[in-house]
Amino acid sequence: MGLQMQSHGIQSMLKEGHKHLSGLDEAVLKNIGACKALSIITGTSLGPNGMNKMVINHLDKLFVTNDAATIVNELEVQHPAAKILVLASKAQQEEIGDGANLTISFAGELLQNAEELIRMGLHPSEIISGYTKAINKTVEILEELVENGSETMDVRNKDQVLSRIRAAVASKQFGQEDILCSLVADACIQVCPKNPANFNVDNVRVAKLLGGGLHNSTVVRGMVLKSDAVGSLKQIERAKVAVFVGGVDSSATETKGTVLIHSAEQLENYSKTEEAKIEELIRSVADSGAKVIVSGAAVGEMALHFCERYKLMVLKISSKFELRRFCRTTGAVAMVAVPTSLTQPNPDDLGYVDSISVEEIGGVRVIIVKNEEGGNSVSTVVLRGSTDSILDDLERAVDDGVNTYKAMCRDSRVVPGAAATEIELAKRVKEFSYKETGLDQYAVAKFAESFEMVPKTLAENAGLNAMEIISSLYAEHASGNSKVGIDLKEGVCKDVSTLCVWDLYITKFFALKYAADAACTVLRVDQIIMAKPAGGPKRDQPAGMDED
Amino acid sequence: MSAMMQPQIILLKEGTDTSQGKAQLVSNINACTAVADVVRTTLGPRGMDKLIHDDKGSVTISNDGATIMKLLDIVHPAAKILVDIAKSQDSEVGDGTTTVVLLAGEFLKEAKPFIEDGVHPQNLIRSYRIASNLALEKVKELAVSIEGKSLEEKKSLLAKCAATTLSSKLIGGEKEFFASMVVDAVIAIGHEDRLNMIGIKKVPGGNMRDSFLVNGVAFKKTFSYAGFEQQPKKFLNPKILLLNIELELKSEKENAEIRLSDPSQYQSIVDAEWNIIYDKLDKCVQSGAKVVLSRLAIGDLGTQYFADRDIFCAGRVTEEDLHRVAAATGGTVQTSVNNVIDEVLGTCELFEERQVGNERFNIFSGCPSGLTATIVLRGGADQFIEEAERSLHDAIMIVRRAMKNSTVVAGGGAIDMEISRYLRQHARTIAGKSQLFINSYAKALEVIPRQLCDNAGFDATDVLNKLRQKHALQSGEGANYGVDINTGGIADSFANFVWEPAVVKINAINAATEAACLILSVDETVKNPKSESAQGEAAASAMGGRGRGGAGFRGRGRGMRRR
Repeated sequence: MGLQMQSHGIQSMLKEGHKHLSGLDEAVLKNIGACKALSIITGTSLGPNGMNKMVINHLDKLFVTNDAATIVNELEVQHPAAKILVLASKAQQEEIGDGANLTISFAGELLQNAEELIRMGLHPSEIISGYTKAINKTVEILEELVENGSETMDVRNKDQVLSRIRAAVASKQFGQEDILCSLVADACIQVCPKNPANFNVDNVRVAKLLGGGLHNSTVVRGMVLKSDAVGSLKQIERAKVAVFVGGVDSSATETKGTVLIHSAEQLENYSKTEEAKIEELIRSVADSGAKVIVSGAAVGEMALHFCERYKLMVLKISSKFELRRFCRTTGAVAMVAVPTSLTQPNPDDLGYVDSISVEEIGGVRVIIVKNEEGGNSVSTVVLRGSTDSILDDLERAVDDGVNTYKAMCRDSRVVPGAAATEIELAKRVKEFSYKETGLDQYAVAKFAESFEMVPKTLAENAGLNAMEIISSLYAEHASGNSKVGIDLKEGVCKDVSTLCVWDLYITKFFALKYAADAACTVLRVDQIIMAKPAGGPKRDQPAGMDED
Repeated sequence: MSAMMQPQIILLKEGTDTSQGKAQLVSNINACTAVADVVRTTLGPRGMDKLIHDDKGSVTISNDGATIMKLLDIVHPAAKILVDIAKSQDSEVGDGTTTVVLLAGEFLKEAKPFIEDGVHPQNLIRSYRIASNLALEKVKELAVSIEGKSLEEKKSLLAKCAATTLSSKLIGGEKEFFASMVVDAVIAIGHEDRLNMIGIKKVPGGNMRDSFLVNGVAFKKTFSYAGFEQQPKKFLNPKILLLNIELELKSEKENAEIRLSDPSQYQSIVDAEWNIIYDKLDKCVQSGAKVVLSRLAIGDLGTQYFADRDIFCAGRVTEEDLHRVAAATGGTVQTSVNNVIDEVLGTCELFEERQVGNERFNIFSGCPSGLTATIVLRGGADQFIEEAERSLHDAIMIVRRAMKNSTVVAGGGAIDMEISRYLRQHARTIAGKSQLFINSYAKALEVIPRQLCDNAGFDATDVLNKLRQKHALQSGEGANYGVDINTGGIADSFANFVWEPAVVKINAINAATEAACLILSVDETVKNPKSESAQGEAAASAMGGRGRGGAGFRGRGRGMRRR
C-alpha cells in the first residue's frame, strides 16, 4: 500500500485533471480495497442479528434499516469498482427481491481473498478462472443440497409458505418474524392467481399507519387508502362502483372560451342550465345502480351537492396507480370522464365492493375498501409501529417476504438456511479444489474459504464466538450432518430441519452467482482512467477537504 | 493533491459523514438521554411547564410531551426517533407522551453501561423485547374492566380517568369540573369515532370556571353586514339551511361575457342580475328555514332581506363548524338553492346568540342527532387557553380510548412499580445474561414513580423504598400502591381513583421499547451531504473530529474515507 507513483508518461498525453491508475497495486488492489470497505459496511447487517444503519440521504430523510439494498442505494457510492458491487446487489434485488446483502458481503469476501492470492503472486486472470470454475461447481453442489420433496409445494398452503419466507423476513425483523410472516403469507395467498407464476408483487400493498405496535397489524382483503371520503357518506356496503379517471365536474373547455350572452333571459338561465346538466349527469350515474363514485381528480362542489342528494358515496383517488389498483380490486373499468347526459354508464363497467368505510386508525382517517370475494386481487398489509423509521423497515421486511413468495411461485426448492448450506459448500468446494491441478487450485480453495464469511458474520453479529462456531460446524458437516447450521437464539449448532430455517434455492443461487460475477469483473480491471469531471473546480474543493 | 488520485478514498460522495461502532451507539444514547432530560421535569401533577420561544417569536407554554418534542426542532437522527414515538403516542392514545419519551430514555440509559462493557446490542434488544412482552401481559392482567356498568357508573369511572390526565396539566386545579365536561362531550359524540365533532372554542377573559359545554355546536359570530342587528337572535325549533354558495350580487361566471347591440337592453341585464340574487334569496325563504348559514359570504343585500323576513343568517362560517352543524342538526350542506327539500334542512331545539366575554356566540343546542359537542374555554392569557386546549384534547383522547377499550389500571406509578417487581421476580428465574438486562429494564420502569416524586419535591429514594416494600408483599394487596402526590407518602392509587386507561400504558411501553431497540440496533450512521448545499465545512470538521475505528488501512494517513 502507499505506492502513489503516477505514470507520468500517460499523464502528459491526456488532458489535465484526469485520473489514471494502472497496475496491480494502484488499480486492482485499490479496487479491492474499496469493495472491501463497502462490504464491511453491509457485513454487520447480515442475518437476523444484523445491526441497523442510520442513513441520512441527501434529501435529509432518515433511514434506519438493515436491508442492504436500501443501504447501498442511499449511500451514493462513488467509487467505480464499488459501484459494480452495488449494481450486483441491485440486480439481485430486482431478480429476487431478497439476498442483496449476501451478494455484497460475499463478493467483498471473494475480493479480499483474491487480494491475498495476488500478494502470493497469482495473476488476476488465474484467480478469475479459478473463481469461475468454483462458482460452476458451487451451482452443481447447490442443486444437490436442495431439500428432497421441496420441488412441489402448494403455494396456497400457509404452513408451507411460512416455512419458506420465514428466513427472509427473520433476517430483517428478528424476533418479530412470526407475526410478520403470517401477515405476509395471508396477504400473498389471498391474491395468488390461479397460475401462481403470474403472481404480481404489486398486488400486495402495504399501508403504514403510525401508532400502536406490530401486534396491531392486520391484513385487509382489498385496499386501504390514506384519505377521507369527500362527501358526508362514510360507509357503504355491497355497492356498485363507478370509476372516473377525470374529475367529476361540469365539463369545461380546455381552450379558453367565453360565453356570449345576448339577453337578460340567457343570463338568468345560464347557471340554471349548468346546474341542471350536472344533476342529469349525476342522476345518470345513480340510475345505473352505482352507489359509489370514485374520481381521479377534483370533484366539483356542484357535483358533490348532487351526489349527496342522490346518496352516492364519493371517493377521490388522485394517484393514477392507486386508481388502477382500485379498479383491479373492484373489477371496475375506469371511465375517462363523466358520461354525457344521454348515455348511462355501461353496467359492465361498474365494479363491486363488499364494503367501503372510513375508519380512524391511530388518529389518521383511512378508507378501507373490502372485497372478500370475486375480484380480491389486491390485498393490503396494514402495518402499525411507533415511528416512521420502524414502519419503513417493517415495510421493507414485508416487501422481501412478498418477493420471496413470488420467487417461490417460480421455483419452490429450498436449501438449508442458517449457514448450513454455506458450510457444506465450503467443504465440498474445498474437496473439489484438491482435484484441480493448475494454479487455480489456490483460487478455488479461497473461493471455498469465502463461504465461511456467512457463518462467521452471523455468529459475530449475534455476539457469539465465530471461530468456535465455525469449527464445530465443520466438525458436524464432516461427520455427514449436512444440515447443521447455527441456532442464533441459543448460540449452538443445530440441525436446521428442526429449526425450520430454509432459504429459497433460487435466492441463494442468484446471490452467489451475482457475487462471483461481480468479483470477477472487479478483478478483471487493471487500469482506471477517469476523465476530469465536468465543472472541475467544484470537484477540487471536496478533494481538498480530504486533505484537510 | 495526490489524494485526488486515489479513487477508493472517495468510496462515498464527498462530504458524506459516516460514524460507526460502539462510540456511535453511546453517542446516540447520550443524545436521547439529553432529550429525555428536557421533558423529564414535566411529568406528573407536580410537573413543571416549559416555555418555548420558537424562531418565529411565538411563545408556547406547555407540559405536554408531544408538544414540547415537536417544538424542540431536534436534528439529531437518533433523538428524532424519540420525537416520533411521542407523536405516535399522541395520535394513538393522546396522552402519556412524556411517559413514553422518559421510558425510552431510561431504557437506553440503563443499556449504556452494558454497551460500554462490551455486551452485544442484539442480546440487549432480545431481552428488552422479552421484558416488554412480559410487561404488556402483566398490564393486561392487572387491568380492570369497566365494561358492563350502567351509564351513570361508567360516566363517573371515565371522569376519573380524565381527572388523572388533567391533574398533570395546567388546569389540574379544576380537574373535576373539566373531567365531567370532557366525559359529557365524549359521550355525546357516541361511538362514532370522530374527534372533529368535538369543537373547542377559546375565548380569552373570565376564568376557567366560566367554561361551558354546549350539547351541540357553538361558534363565534361571523362577520356581518348592516341589517344583522335587526335579525332575531333566538329561535325555538328553527329549521336550518346550510349553504355553500354566495348570497351576494356578483358575476355569475367568470367566463361569461355580455355583448349588447341595443342600449335599451342594458337595464334588463341589470334587472336580470338582481332577479338572480332575489330568486336565490326567495328560495331560501321559501324553504321555511329560520336560520341560514353559508360557508361563503352573505352580502348586505341578503342580510337585510333576511332581516325583513325574521330570518337569522350568518355568512363565512368556517367549514369545520358548518360540518359540525350539519352533523348535529341532521341537515346537509347545499351547493344550490334550487329544489331545497325538507330533508336537507336541519333542526335543533334552541338557537340563540349569547354573549361570552366580549365575543358573541351562535349556539345551537338540543340537536336531534346529538353527535356533536362544543367546549367553550375561558381563561386569562392566550397561552393559558392554548395549553388548556391541549390538555382538554389529551383528556378527550383518554376518555375515548377508555370507552373503546374499557380497561383501566392504577396510576401514580403504581402499575409501573408492579411491572417492575414482576419483571425482577421473573428475571431471577432466568439463567444467563438476560437476567441482568431484564433487571435493568425493570429498574428503568421505576423512573415513573421516581420522577413523580422528584417533580413534587419528595425524597424519591424514600418513597420508592416504601413502594417496593408494599409491592413485594406476598398477598399482592400492595399491587395498587403508588405515589401519593398530596402527602408525599404512598397510597393505594386505585382506591384514590388515580386511574388511567390500560391502553395508555400498553402503548407507552410498546413504543418506548420499540424505540429503544431501534436505537440500540443502529451501529452506523451515514450522513450524505444535502443536495445542493455547501456543507463541506461541517462535514470536514466532523470527519476530522472523530477517531478511526475500522481496519488497519492506513497508508495515506488522513486519506481515509471514513471518519
